[in-house]
Amino acid sequence: MWVSIWLAVIGLVVGIGIGLNLPVFLPAAYAKYLGIAILAALDSVFGGIRAAMEENFDNLVFLSGFIGNALMAALLVFIGDRLGVDIYIAAVVAFGVRLFHNLGVIRRHLVGRKNEAV
Amino acid sequence: MQTKYLSIAAVTVILGLLIGLQVKLLKLPEPPAPSPDRFTALSAELKDLTRENEELRAEIEDLEAKVRTARQGVQQAEAALRTEIAKHLVFAGLTKVKGPGVQVTLENVPGGDYLFAIRDEDLLRVVNELRAAGAEAIAINDQRLVAFSEIRQAGPFINVNLERISPPYRIQAIGNPDKLFRELERPQGIVDTARIVGVEIHIEVCDELVLPGYQGRSRLEYARPLKEGV
Repeated sequence: MWVSIWLAVIGLVVGIGIGLNLPVFLPAAYAKYLGIAILAALDSVFGGIRAAMEENFDNLVFLSGFIGNALMAALLVFIGDRLGVDIYIAAVVAFGVRLFHNLGVIRRHLVGRKNEAV
Repeated sequence: MQTKYLSIAAVTVILGLLIGLQVKLLKLPEPPAPSPDRFTALSAELKDLTRENEELRAEIEDLEAKVRTARQGVQQAEAALRTEIAKHLVFAGLTKVKGPGVQVTLENVPGGDYLFAIRDEDLLRVVNELRAAGAEAIAINDQRLVAFSEIRQAGPFINVNLERISPPYRIQAIGNPDKLFRELERPQGIVDTARIVGVEIHIEVCDELVLPGYQGRSRLEYARPLKEGV
């Protein structure tokens, strides 16, 4: 249970370190895509941690969710750009809601009152 | 149990990577805001440069005025030189001139002997008389008399300016017509004498005579001006 959180924290620190020190600069036009991808990944990670706490973590579900969410979100942004509609806001809202929901569940698990309604 | 959570670590590494890239991406375009110090320095510099610009503009105007004056001076000097040159050309007899004067025509008596023909001395005497009367320009048969003109007997002919002229001899002189006329027609003067000798001589007072310029040599080979008093 705690292992998943520590793994997540360590992974995050290592990833940020690599990302900041990598001599790669993405064009500014990709900022929106990257942002939505980050949101999707964040959602997946919190979902995975929650699943780990509820002891029903599944690697296939977790990884497919991560990749699928990120790709779908990027596709949504792309389509929205082409149509002139900010569809990515829908993705942001959906991911945000799920993020805070998962965060709430994780918090309750951590404080040890997992049976209370979220 | 714990190994299956490694995928979380992998995903979070990717997540961290994305976050790092995004942070770097958004941090790049951050133009440094001009500080107030810089602003005051720049505005002071602007004021300085503006004032300097005005000063330089005033200097330009000043210099332009000077150039104008100088140019005017040059123009005046040039005009003065031109009038001086024109005056000297008239004095030297190198240009066409016009003015009032007299025309003296001398012709041999028809059928007269060669001994009684008009000679160079007759023309010279008339010319001398005209000069004494203040003639300013003289020409014989369209040969302008200048400082180095000769009037010289050459067999039965007379040469003026190395050109052969033939009777009737037409001496034109520009000057005060009355004075010229009176001088020539003086009793016992040359005209009187010539008539006695038997030369047909007519004096005609003209309001406007046109005398050609000297057409002979255009340059002097030996005479050189002294530098002083140019």
